[in-house]
Amino acid sequence: MTKREERIGIFVCHCGLNIAGTVDVQKVVEEIRKYPGVAHAEHYMYMCSDPGQELMRKAIREKGLTAVVNANCSPSLHEKTFRRVCSSAGLNPYRCEIANIREQCSWPHAHDKEAATRKAIAIIKTTVERLRLNMMLTPLVIPLTKRALVIGGGIAGIQAALDIADGGYEVALVEKSPVLGGHVMELSATFPTLESPRDFLLPRIKEVISHPNIHVYLDSEVQEVAGYVGSFAVKIRQNGEVSEEEVGAIVTAPGFDLLPREKLPVYPDDPDIVDSLQFERTLAGKVARPSDGRVPRDVVFIQCAGSRDPEHGMPYCSRVCCMYTAKQVLLYRKAVPDGQAYVCYMDMRSDAKGFEEFAQQVMSHDGVLYIRGNPSRVFRDGDKLKIWAADTLSGKNLEISADMVVLALAMVPRAGTRELARKLNISVDQHGFLTEAHIKLRPVESLTSGIFLAGTAQWPRDIPDTIASASAAASKVLSLFSRKELLHEPTTAHVDEEVCSGCGVCVSVCTFKAISIDEKWKVAVVNPALCEGCGSCAATCPSKAMQHRNWSHRQLFAMIDVAGGGGV
Amino acid sequence: MSAEFVKKALVIGGGIAGIQAALDIADGGYQVILVERSPSIGGHMIQYAEVFPTLDCPQCIMTPKMVEIAQHPNVTLMTHAEVRSVSGTAGNFEVEIVQKARKVDHKKCNGCGTCWQKCPEKVPSEYNEGMAKRTAVYIPFPQAVPAKPVIDQPHCRYIRYRQFMAEKRAGKKPPECRICEKLCPVGAIDWEQPDEIVREKVGAIVLATGFDLMPFSRIPEYAEDPDVLNGIQFERLLSPGGPTAGAVIRPSDGKTPKEVVFVACCGSRDPERGVSYCSRVCCMYLAKQALLYKHAVPDGQAYVFYIDTRSTGKGYEEFIQRAVGEGVLYLRGKVSRIFREGDKLRVYGADTLSGKRVEIAADLVVLGMAIVPSDGAGELFRKLGVSADEAGFVTERHPKFHPLETKVPGIFVAGMAQGPKDIPDAVAQGSGAAGRVLAFFAQGAPSEKQAVPV
Repeated sequence: MTKREERIGIFVCHCGLNIAGTVDVQKVVEEIRKYPGVAHAEHYMYMCSDPGQELMRKAIREKGLTAVVNANCSPSLHEKTFRRVCSSAGLNPYRCEIANIREQCSWPHAHDKEAATRKAIAIIKTTVERLRLNMMLTPLVIPLTKRALVIGGGIAGIQAALDIADGGYEVALVEKSPVLGGHVMELSATFPTLESPRDFLLPRIKEVISHPNIHVYLDSEVQEVAGYVGSFAVKIRQNGEVSEEEVGAIVTAPGFDLLPREKLPVYPDDPDIVDSLQFERTLAGKVARPSDGRVPRDVVFIQCAGSRDPEHGMPYCSRVCCMYTAKQVLLYRKAVPDGQAYVCYMDMRSDAKGFEEFAQQVMSHDGVLYIRGNPSRVFRDGDKLKIWAADTLSGKNLEISADMVVLALAMVPRAGTRELARKLNISVDQHGFLTEAHIKLRPVESLTSGIFLAGTAQWPRDIPDTIASASAAASKVLSLFSRKELLHEPTTAHVDEEVCSGCGVCVSVCTFKAISIDEKWKVAVVNPALCEGCGSCAATCPSKAMQHRNWSHRQLFAMIDVAGGGGV
Repeated sequence: MSAEFVKKALVIGGGIAGIQAALDIADGGYQVILVERSPSIGGHMIQYAEVFPTLDCPQCIMTPKMVEIAQHPNVTLMTHAEVRSVSGTAGNFEVEIVQKARKVDHKKCNGCGTCWQKCPEKVPSEYNEGMAKRTAVYIPFPQAVPAKPVIDQPHCRYIRYRQFMAEKRAGKKPPECRICEKLCPVGAIDWEQPDEIVREKVGAIVLATGFDLMPFSRIPEYAEDPDVLNGIQFERLLSPGGPTAGAVIRPSDGKTPKEVVFVACCGSRDPERGVSYCSRVCCMYLAKQALLYKHAVPDGQAYVFYIDTRSTGKGYEEFIQRAVGEGVLYLRGKVSRIFREGDKLRVYGADTLSGKRVEIAADLVVLGMAIVPSDGAGELFRKLGVSADEAGFVTERHPKFHPLETKVPGIFVAGMAQGPKDIPDAVAQGSGAAGRVLAFFAQGAPSEKQAVPV
């Protein structure tokens, strides 16, 4: 490669006083002007503002700049802005790089202005060295199939499918069981209106089935997922037959299960000890004791059965049990007006609209006793179940004789979620819940582009929060599909096949499954559409065959050389 | 329906929920007007020191979104503006937005900062919850979007002078300052700039008006004292960009507080003095604040009074356990009285688990005040015909199955406007409301199902 005559422009931003209050921007400009290859340097109050952008454009054109360094805030804020400015001035956008002199300089070094100024100069010099070796790149264009896959036919999957379909795109909805509706269909009534969820759900299911944009696969499972955002190839197994779907985006909503009771040895296997979903069915029909069909006069509801219990169950709170238990207590007392309900709880968690008021109403209801403390033993004693509990408020031990015990078992991810996540190449946490891209600000995106999350597979949550997350996932799909084409960053990894020994270390470190080994030639192959440019493979490749575009080893060493000589 | 179907949205409120809703609608290919009444977007989230459970800095994770709003070709950002009236129906609303006079021409202004550095009038800073001063011409905080100032008219010396002269009042004249005007290098100060009415047509509206904290005065048993702070004030005290640059001090004398009491449920779950509902976020932010306090003052003691700990989100239960493990003392009980006694604040409380009375001599008290709807939100909801509950939060079309729609077709809700919730839930609702708007806009005509309640 012949060396081109570089004419590099340096644009130093004050960011008001954020940078200029610490870094002597005038001195930075004077120093950097003397640096080889630098044809232009200036500073400005807010380089990201319209006049700042215009000043860049003018300099690029008038001074014939071949590359640009913007010294300002983190690239996560304005890399796009300045690359766009370069494009509009006729410069390849990948000939523009950011030198972060705010987060990595002026903010942490506010106490030492002189050293901060020296460091800012050094950061710019290293960026110049990197930029000299930058390639001119163009974004990859990825085909976009405007059809979505929704996995799970519970309330989350139904909402997501309807929103996407109403948004004008086709949806394939895959449900493992023979019916749509999920756990919500099992509920007797929902708080606070105490109406049957079927009244709402059945019309929605009908809408799904008759929607011209939705194709429903019942009794079906996702067998295999290949490809990437814009063009996933999905194999769906239905009654032994395999269909193939081409989709551009996937919403994952497989839902939850209750923790298996066997995990909690404190609760013996007894027909009159039921879990909360079984009790929903009891409430929907006749309230009777399973062992002999008699009306249960004393019922003990045990919350946190396996929740907040790191020893036997799960360490987390299952979020919905306090409220559905309160609802079940009320419905039980309506069904059995002379019955007595006991609720063993740890903390009352009634933290959404109308919840506290509802819980207070139930707690002060006749024939309802809330006991703050979890039982230590539950056992059968003739016709009755005996519950030993502690009331942590009075400090007393209690023994309750009951006809029935209802366990609010912890919510866990639905069986098979880990396996599904593996197929989709998305991650799960230690409990098996799907992991979001950012817990605060990207709650419905996975870290794999084009795959979104909804409902209780991500974390225990109630119906409105589930619906909100499903509509949110749908909005992400609709945004994606509104584009003409998908552009992918070209700053990906690539292999020097002459050097690669096919050892496969890169395959093992790639979180995005972007690398495979060509069996015939024994070399690594990168799928640039899947590569997110994280650099793990380039960093671990023992023979340096794997290189990152515009972060090559040569570039990194050039940066280190100048940083080392910069006297920072 | 023959009215034109306007596929353009209005988002009211520039906090995290409104920002997310606006970005998602804009990314979906439709025009959005984002109206924020204060001079910058960012809402309350931008005031926080760090957010639980990851202890991320909100300025770091939020400013990229704020910048995206400012630069998105589909977003029209109107700060320092308020919705005055709304008429019409789903698919075709007519809205009047008042662009309040900034007295600074933002077309000319380059954000150099000379005016706000030189303005002699000092006013308590809203961003710093009154614990620091700003000037009368100001941007609310350094990362403000837009990063151009407004003149706070009631506090501006020259505007007060003009009023004084116009009304020919008797007494001492305010000074005829005009320093900003004299120093502005681009001549952007415009004393004659009026309030402007902007009329727009939109097809859908997202309400993301946010929250306020209940004022202290509602709980007379708790003293009003410089060393008694609310949750947001304490966030500013913990923030590296706050009035003390992150140093935890007693506001009264600047000393390091060695005993700090955090009180949950101040006004929440208290229908007599406050509100009947739970504010959902206080347990977690108080645990976080107690932990951050312990990090800042390792030999200090933090106490948290609570009724029930409510840690239901991902990683939350573990987070509370971490706070306990790092020495924060949790006491299950209410605080009956807080009053000053010499150098200390006396806190009378109860520990319902031991059944004993507890008395603490504290240096600083942080009150987890109840979350209430944003000031003025009720009036806005009335203008829109949107119903709200007794507490003033927007009533959903159905509390279980239509959580993102109001009872008025075409008007959606996100974030704290609907009720107390944490950041991930507010963001999910912002995106969710955007999803409902996008699905609505994809219909052939506004009369189709999205617009009409089922």
